[in-house]
Amino acid sequence: MTGAILKVMVLGLLRDRGAFAMAFILPPLIFVIFAAIFSGTSGDEMRLKVAVLDDIGTVETKMLIAAIDAEPALRLHEREFDDEQSLRDAVLASTADVGLIIRGQLYGEEGEAPVLVIADAGRAMTGPILAGHVQRLVARELPGVSMRRVAPTIDAMAGGLSPQQQAQLDSAIDAMGNEGSADESGDGALVSVETIAGRGGGVTVSYYAGAVAVMFLLFSAMQGAATLIEERTSGIIDRIAVGRAGTDVIVLAKFLFLTIQGIFQVSLIFLVAWLAYGVDVPSHFLAWLATTVLAATAAAGLALAMASACVSRQQANTISSFLVLVASAVGGSMVPRFMMPPWLQEIGWYTPNAWAIEAYQGALWRGVSLQALLPTFWPLALTALAGLAAALILSRLRLRLA
Amino acid sequence: MFVTRQPTEGTQTDHPLEAAPPALEISGLSVRYGTRRVTDALDLTIATSEIFGLLGPNGSGKTTLVRAICRRLKPAAGRIRIAGEQNTKRRALRRVGLVPQEIALYPHLTARENLVTFGRLSGLSHQQAMSALDFAVEATRLTKHLDDAVHTLSGGWKRRANIAAALLHGPSLLILDEPTVGVDIDARNALHTVIRNLGRSGLAVLLTTHDLDQAQALCGRVGFLRDGKVSPVGRPVDLLKDAFGTRCELLVDLYEPARTATRDMLKRLGFASRQLGLEWSRMIDASPEAQAGLTDALHRTDLRIKEIRFREPDLDSLFTRLTGEDTPS
Repeated sequence: MTGAILKVMVLGLLRDRGAFAMAFILPPLIFVIFAAIFSGTSGDEMRLKVAVLDDIGTVETKMLIAAIDAEPALRLHEREFDDEQSLRDAVLASTADVGLIIRGQLYGEEGEAPVLVIADAGRAMTGPILAGHVQRLVARELPGVSMRRVAPTIDAMAGGLSPQQQAQLDSAIDAMGNEGSADESGDGALVSVETIAGRGGGVTVSYYAGAVAVMFLLFSAMQGAATLIEERTSGIIDRIAVGRAGTDVIVLAKFLFLTIQGIFQVSLIFLVAWLAYGVDVPSHFLAWLATTVLAATAAAGLALAMASACVSRQQANTISSFLVLVASAVGGSMVPRFMMPPWLQEIGWYTPNAWAIEAYQGALWRGVSLQALLPTFWPLALTALAGLAAALILSRLRLRLA
Repeated sequence: MFVTRQPTEGTQTDHPLEAAPPALEISGLSVRYGTRRVTDALDLTIATSEIFGLLGPNGSGKTTLVRAICRRLKPAAGRIRIAGEQNTKRRALRRVGLVPQEIALYPHLTARENLVTFGRLSGLSHQQAMSALDFAVEATRLTKHLDDAVHTLSGGWKRRANIAAALLHGPSLLILDEPTVGVDIDARNALHTVIRNLGRSGLAVLLTTHDLDQAQALCGRVGFLRDGKVSPVGRPVDLLKDAFGTRCELLVDLYEPARTATRDMLKRLGFASRQLGLEWSRMIDASPEAQAGLTDALHRTDLRIKEIRFREPDLDSLFTRLTGEDTPS
């Protein structure tokens, strides 16, 4: 008897392609995404994009920059920066994951550290990561620099070096520079890390407020749009189609409803973020509102297109869960995108999550103007329009083909 | 009980009452799916106040014909006029009230909320929708459950609300697709009364049904959709008279199926089987002598006869004769 029910369940799973995909394809896919992300954070996959400003331009600093370029875990920003402010802006705007300013000779004259790492507080871990890489690269590729940095200390401790000893040391340092060495340097004064903050309050909270908001926007829009399928199968659309309204009215009304529902939903998330965690929404209200409206319309458009394309509620549930989970994982709703390998970051730009999160970060964390947010608004607006157009066309076609 | 139709957009025509065009006029309609011809130069006319039953076996094209009327597909040839206007015009389509076989209502709304919603979607203002609601509720006798959520209603009341939602914009032609599927006898009879009264109120009704008893009870005329055409068409009584004359139908119910030899013998005698061989029937002369002779002959066979009866032929008999099939229900 147990076997009979077992057989029913197995056949049900095998014949329901949606359930099959959810059970056996989605989990490995999500695992691959997370594996790519988290193996990257501790392995070779994570490639921080480094914005570099070399104020010195010596042989050593050029060698260091070349070493950074050759380092698999790092990649150079394609732009050349002329001043510190533009580099800081690039880091704050997330066009670079982290910044590096070489302000003095690597040999370490007294005073401030010659290398300054600039990290966004929202990606605070990128600062120590780059600092570690720089120290390792200097020790490995420029061992002479390391030795020269410790020489004054030795000189002071040993009571001064004789001219002969000094000459031998210089000779050894030169030889090290030629041969290369894997010696590690523990000198912390070579690199200092500066963490820069945006203007919108807790960066992590503001990031996740946007990330969670867009994920749930998609989930609830998909759920709401699926009523389109019920209306189709129950004959409501048939009834309405012969009247004055037609199917366009249904699709447009649902688009409007899902957008308004989404705005309220996101508002609640950011209300909590503002009241409980100090995310400064009121100061950037217009930018936040524009982002919210566009994110909600994008979610509504996508959801309606999906519902128009699906033949049954069950199919819609399966496909929407699949799409939302994958888009959220790749688009940065679950893990910040800077932690992902570059190929996954590139894929992320094809999700509304990435653009919405970027827009929220711009609006709330960096506090940029509406105009500066336009590059992130366009993809959301186009997604909304394309989704809505697809939903209108598919719904009309379905009425003809039904 | 009669209901008076309200003068809404759908009932207002440019024609004087005595010259009112047919509610539905189809001429030369050909619809193809690929190379398959579903209707072939089909003609059909339904007058105002007429209840017309469209009958036919599964796959005969009833749904296709309804979709063509509602302009849901483009015919290869032919013309469809609704209340005198080509159905290519949106105004003509607004004179159609479509009652799908499914309960095409929002289950979480009350019947009243559904009616107002569909009234608004059919182009009525809120005030017009409220006014039309009174007519629709009266016509379907829905008052008792007007404020109940649709999902809590029984099948029969859901069906009434389903019909009411199609009446709000004052259509000239009401298309009912299997309006009594899944309801009990009492609800079915109540719905028959509703449909009959709608016909009397001046509304033309196109009823597609598998329930031949229902068609016979309700419809002024019926038509059989076969081979792409509606033929024969006429009053049920006339169709039966043409087909069977004065003969009546002899039905033999068996306790168990006949043996092969006996079955062959029954077929040679002109009997046709139904119900997996447990019921046999044939038309015979209505004279008592003919009936007695055949009855005696049957009793002399090895058949285990449960009942022998004679009856007037009905649409069921005609359907079987025309299609060579058992009745669709």
